[in-house]
Amino acid sequence: MRGKGLLAVLLLAVLLLPLAGCGFKDIDKRFFIVALGIDAADEGKGFKVTLRLAVPSPKIEPGSALSEVKTIQAPTIAEAVRLAKSHVDKELDFGHCKVFVLGEKLVKKNYTDVMEWMSRRRDIQSVAYLSIGRPDAQSIVKIAPKTERYPGNALFLAFGVDGTESSYSISTYLFDFNRRYGEHGMDPVLPLIRKDPQEGDYFISRIALLDKSKMVMLLTPQESQLYNQIANRFGKSTIKATIEEENIVLAANSVSSSYKIMSDQDGNQKLRLKMKISGLFEEAPLGIYEKDWHKLEQTLSEQTEAQIKRMLVKIQKAGIDPFGFGLKYRATHAGNDQTWKTWQKIYPELEFDVKVNVHVEGTGLSR
Amino acid sequence: MLNRIGTIMAQAKDLNTHRLQNKERTIELAYISSLCDESKVSDFIIVPFMKEEEDFLTTLIHNPNFTELNDTAKWADTLLRGFVLISAEQRIFTLDAARIIRSETPQTQVETAIMGSQIALSEDLIDSINIIRTRYPSPELAVEETTLGNVSRTRTMLVYDNRRVDPTVLANVRESLRKLDVDFVQAAGQLERLISGRKRGLFPTMLITERPDRITGSLQAGKVVLLLQGSGFALIMPATFFEFMHAVDDEFDSFWMTRFLIILRYGAIILTILLPSLYVAVVSYNPELFRVQLAFSIAGSRSAVPYPSFIEVMIMLFMIESLIEASVRLPKYIGSTATTVGGLILGQAAQQAGLVSSIMIIVTSVVAISNFVVPVNNMSVAIRFLKYPLLVPAIFFGLSGVAVGIFVYLVYLADLRSFGKPYFRILGPTKRHTGDIGQVKPS
Repeated sequence: MRGKGLLAVLLLAVLLLPLAGCGFKDIDKRFFIVALGIDAADEGKGFKVTLRLAVPSPKIEPGSALSEVKTIQAPTIAEAVRLAKSHVDKELDFGHCKVFVLGEKLVKKNYTDVMEWMSRRRDIQSVAYLSIGRPDAQSIVKIAPKTERYPGNALFLAFGVDGTESSYSISTYLFDFNRRYGEHGMDPVLPLIRKDPQEGDYFISRIALLDKSKMVMLLTPQESQLYNQIANRFGKSTIKATIEEENIVLAANSVSSSYKIMSDQDGNQKLRLKMKISGLFEEAPLGIYEKDWHKLEQTLSEQTEAQIKRMLVKIQKAGIDPFGFGLKYRATHAGNDQTWKTWQKIYPELEFDVKVNVHVEGTGLSR
Repeated sequence: MLNRIGTIMAQAKDLNTHRLQNKERTIELAYISSLCDESKVSDFIIVPFMKEEEDFLTTLIHNPNFTELNDTAKWADTLLRGFVLISAEQRIFTLDAARIIRSETPQTQVETAIMGSQIALSEDLIDSINIIRTRYPSPELAVEETTLGNVSRTRTMLVYDNRRVDPTVLANVRESLRKLDVDFVQAAGQLERLISGRKRGLFPTMLITERPDRITGSLQAGKVVLLLQGSGFALIMPATFFEFMHAVDDEFDSFWMTRFLIILRYGAIILTILLPSLYVAVVSYNPELFRVQLAFSIAGSRSAVPYPSFIEVMIMLFMIESLIEASVRLPKYIGSTATTVGGLILGQAAQQAGLVSSIMIIVTSVVAISNFVVPVNNMSVAIRFLKYPLLVPAIFFGLSGVAVGIFVYLVYLADLRSFGKPYFRILGPTKRHTGDIGQVKPS
């Protein structure tokens, strides 16, 4: 009896063996895609998908990163990726694909198809970074910086917090983009990667603002930094002012911001944005130590207030809401459809009241 | 008497039988010379009998060294334990003349501690009791003796602190010893398997130790200790899983370092159980778990390996296990050669020949090293096995399979009882004299 039971278990185990089948695929039989670029097709409808495949090597040192780039055109992205499989000898794996670059032209037209595909595929990680490529995604994905230690490293570092932390760029995770895409009262933002034609590499210094289906506007690097300071409370940034025709740059150590939506007596809605920035002078004329710091702080505050207000109005005119003002309004008011409709009426006429409080901690010199 | 003994015992060269005669009476002697100290026999029996300073029968009756034995059935037994049988005037007396070959008091070798006791239990029961008694000078220390094994008749001592011991556990231990029906008992580990209830248990539910300080500590905590004649190891029961991870040093070394070491031990057993299966699961099913950098370097170093990951793991595990086994079996002087040959040369060569990846070499050595971190040897051996069953779900189902496997282990651990006490209880003290989880509260 006992022997029979054991035999049955063994038999079952043997039957299970061929089931290892497709799920079981060793790491060296997989091709890791490290970056994926999606453009609109050159002609007609469809997409042009560019894959950057990592060529693994046991040695990791700067300049030894090898990768292959494949470009495939197909009516849909899913088909393009399936087609790509016939171009390579190993199984494609999106598990390590942390950077998705969307072509600027595509995003300006409509990005919803791409969005759908990315959020449905199970091997695409939600923590992947999303960005826009200029002039197109293909040329960004093709760039292989010389300093790269392993394929795709440069782009990962540019977006992650491990490497550079630039106040001019943001990193947008796929899940965050997805959330903003579906949420009433908050619109998606993406960093823009530009190719540097002379150097042959890329730089990220502008932020693109999108509505629920396409790209609407681009912020200048200056505005991008302001956006980062307001929305992400990004320290390690600067604010600039011109006093008596001399440039003063303050390196912010800490930035805090908060806003409130309130209505005044007449029923007009007003948004009050309060910011506190404190830091050290990074660039200032000589003899600033003796000057009246209060005055300097005030000038810095006023000029920053003006810049912020200009940007907010510009964004308001474009009819998008990257900061999530609408979401805040919905969160602090009754939770029904009416609130959302009210907000849609309020937002175009919303007034901004920006208060910036700059605090100078020191001159950056020991005296 | 001598005739009857001749019929009971098999033909034995070392069975000595004498018939002595003096002026008054005749006595008969029987003993097994190899078990007895012949000088004792002559000092206590032959010389006084021949000198005839007083009547020998009175000596037999009044000298406490001699005890009367009325049960004929026990003759063979008594002889085999090194006693001398004396027959005088139709009465049978016994004298303990056992000679036991003992080496010097042994040093701890299996479970060493740098600043702890350096003396281990002796293979001789009396010496062991001596070691324990000197370390536990309490009138409450109870010592019960029984014999185990139908053939081996191994003397066994049950030692406990009468005031602190949990009576339910004690009753439990006595009951399982009484029920034991086996021919030979030779080692503490064998007894542990026989009385633990689960014949194919994955984990030991009794602690086996050679350290007297661990034993006295357990006695003080109200545990029962079993000592076996001929085995330098004692069984401590009941035990919890966590006691196996506890070295005696933890009590007297630097506080923070020992806490850290305890955590390290748990980390090490998790590694040694999980690493091989995690390697298979991650390399073959979920490579996205690694950081990119690691994924690429593993993929790079694996590219020369012709076999799927689980074959690779099996090759290396086979190698490391045979290495460990070889170093246990080899004579001490050749032992180090085996490790050098196996560890350095085979590992390096296997990787260069492209049979296994360099990461796999690291995995194997981590598995082997962290296995030896467990302070108690019988747990260490039990844990050595645990990685193999986990490989199966890893091969078929990847990471989720490993997770299910760990869950199964945890459920099994939680189900285990050591003499009625929960084996894997994390919270709550083990109360004495009251009902416990899994027991009926005494009314």
